[in-house]
Amino acid sequence: MRGAFMDRYISVWFLTPALLFLLFILVGPFGFMVWTSFTDLSFALPDRDGNLVGFDNFRRLMRDTLFWDSFSLTMRFMFLAVFAELLLGFAIAQVLFHHVRQRRFVLTLLMVPMMLAPIAVGLIWKLLLQGDFGMVTYYLRKVGILGDQEVILSNSDLVLAAIIGIDIWQWTPFVVLVMLAGLMSLPREPYEAAVMDGARPLQIFRDITLPLLRPIIALVVLLRGIDAFKEFDKVFLLTGGGPGSATELLSIYTYRMNFRNWDLGYGAACAFMVYFVVLIMCSIFYKAVYWNEGRPTARTDRPT
Amino acid sequence: MPTWQHGNQRVLARAAIAAVGALIIATASQSANAWTLEEAAAPYKGTTIRTVGEALPPLEALAKMKHEFEERTGITVEVEMYEHSEAVNKVMLDLNSRRGRYDFIIQPHRELGRFVENGHLVALNQFMDDPKLRNPAFAPEDVLYDALWKEISWYGGKMYGYPFTALNMYMWYRTDLIADPKEQAGFKEKFGYDLAPPTNLDQYRDLAEWFTRPDERFYGTAIQGKRHEALWYEWLNFLYAYGADMMDVSSGSACGPIIVNSPAAIAATEYYKSLMAYSPPDTLNYFWDDVMALMQQGKVFELIMWNDATYAVAVDTDASTVVGKMGFAATPLGPTGKAVGQVEGWTYLVPAYSKNQEAAYLFIQWMMEYDQQLNQHLNGGASARPDVYATDEVIALPYSQASMDSNAAAIAKPTIPASPQITDILVREISAYLSDQKSVKDALDTAAAEMHELLGDCAPLRYPVQ
Repeated sequence: MRGAFMDRYISVWFLTPALLFLLFILVGPFGFMVWTSFTDLSFALPDRDGNLVGFDNFRRLMRDTLFWDSFSLTMRFMFLAVFAELLLGFAIAQVLFHHVRQRRFVLTLLMVPMMLAPIAVGLIWKLLLQGDFGMVTYYLRKVGILGDQEVILSNSDLVLAAIIGIDIWQWTPFVVLVMLAGLMSLPREPYEAAVMDGARPLQIFRDITLPLLRPIIALVVLLRGIDAFKEFDKVFLLTGGGPGSATELLSIYTYRMNFRNWDLGYGAACAFMVYFVVLIMCSIFYKAVYWNEGRPTARTDRPT
Repeated sequence: MPTWQHGNQRVLARAAIAAVGALIIATASQSANAWTLEEAAAPYKGTTIRTVGEALPPLEALAKMKHEFEERTGITVEVEMYEHSEAVNKVMLDLNSRRGRYDFIIQPHRELGRFVENGHLVALNQFMDDPKLRNPAFAPEDVLYDALWKEISWYGGKMYGYPFTALNMYMWYRTDLIADPKEQAGFKEKFGYDLAPPTNLDQYRDLAEWFTRPDERFYGTAIQGKRHEALWYEWLNFLYAYGADMMDVSSGSACGPIIVNSPAAIAATEYYKSLMAYSPPDTLNYFWDDVMALMQQGKVFELIMWNDATYAVAVDTDASTVVGKMGFAATPLGPTGKAVGQVEGWTYLVPAYSKNQEAAYLFIQWMMEYDQQLNQHLNGGASARPDVYATDEVIALPYSQASMDSNAAAIAKPTIPASPQITDILVREISAYLSDQKSVKDALDTAAAEMHELLGDCAPLRYPVQ
């Protein structure tokens, strides 16, 4: 009897420390953030001691054009960066998988940007893109892509493209790594069967590789999408959200609300919106990956 | 000798003895009551006090000087130094958490209203009224620039601190280039007047144009165009020179009609943007550290920059390639013809949550004494004591006159609780204008409208926004 009791509840005991940890680190602060979003808490203005104001902060958020400008800028950044990383990462993974023997060595070199701290990435690229002595700026002028007095970080037409380019440089290796692992884990039999049936490479890629890799692709898109949506460090270091609001991503806008204006109630509402968007992305991922799994098909359900 | 004469002599002798005795007693009691730092600090011996401020020469000088105070009092002083925004953020978090990590703080005066209105500070009167703490030889009302002190350390009629730095901005320029005969001849030929330090904004722009040589990577000027507080501070010089302002008020703690989108403000901002043509191409990504580095490297002719950074350019041979080649003068006159400067300063403040308020006050008071102020000033500080500026060593510094002229013409900036938010709004909008995302009227109208929404009825729009 004691054995049965232990068998039944042992899992609970093993899970408890991790659950407590999650409670304190994740659930608790999240709950406090949600609560704060319904208050007028401000560290800057007097008489704003955290009184409940209902949905006022969310109503203000709906009217806040600066918030929505940042939101749309962040979505653009996310889609462009993630799409480019996916295409480039997948292409490099294919090349590594099919054509490169010293895969491990090449992969190690490719991983370097991903290993750098975001602050280091920001500092490196700040120097490389500096208007007077930046190496990248110099060579871009040399090849005629930039005019002699043209710069990147101070140019509101070019700065977002530069930020996206830096993100691609840093995180494409991650996509390469995951896609390569996915390619290496695919079963050989469908490919052998397809070759025997005379399928062309493009058909094999479209009808076998892509469907089998769908969960991996969805995972990569989700993980990179979430990260890109929350991007802060290197953008803040490079431009501070400027020039003007050309690179004021949602995370930077939320930072300003919380740590410049100290309007914590409204800042919490902004942060909650970030979480909400990430939640929607996760839902889309779940549906995309598990859409056909667990649903009975017409053929298998037909009674025999 | 007659008997009465003997009697008189005895009386006189007794009177003399009594007088001497009284004198001895009076002197002894004065000595017993004389204030000394060691005695005042005795109850706090062994205490550690901590402060935080901006990592620049004035605080670096304080960090080097504190050892004398520590040896005399037995009170240890720990100094934390951070970049401007970080120094402000750390204090905000500490004050709002009420942890009392910092026993005294050194903060920009625009934060003062925010701290006072939220009950984070103690007024210093309680210490000044305590004879055990107050050094009777230190009379701040007599020894400080009074108007500056009242603006940066007083709020709502109460005294909350002493000035750590009397900051101002003025013009930096290269004297060697002005003295060059070839430059003089070429400039005269092009502009029709003699090459000399500019005295008005038109000349400032002419000289910037003359010295802009992109092929040589040398520029006439460099504006601090990054989306950062530095942009706001720099822009204010031109705003004031055009006779404009943000609000129509006479002191920083007042709220009044918003005039930031006046025609004069628009003209000032347009002038500010016109300087971009003579600035490095990346000027919209520069703030004060970057332009200071440009001047140190000899890459720019003139700037409007801070007095607390001049030491690093004009004196520090380890950091600067232009020592001995720098000149300083008050900000050139705008269309109004009136000399202007901006009241600015970091101020010593004592948090209400400090556990060592008295020890902190003793240190602050000691730092405000003449010797310490002179020492700090000569090592990169910016004293708020006029007597420091009267010493030969300070007069000999190349930037002292410019500093005093700017102090004399200084205009108050907002210190109300919303003032940092006002700064943020203006930085965003001016940055958008500088990067061609908006017209100047749109930018300043938007700023005015947001300021009005933030401040409410105490700040009506003098120039209505459509």
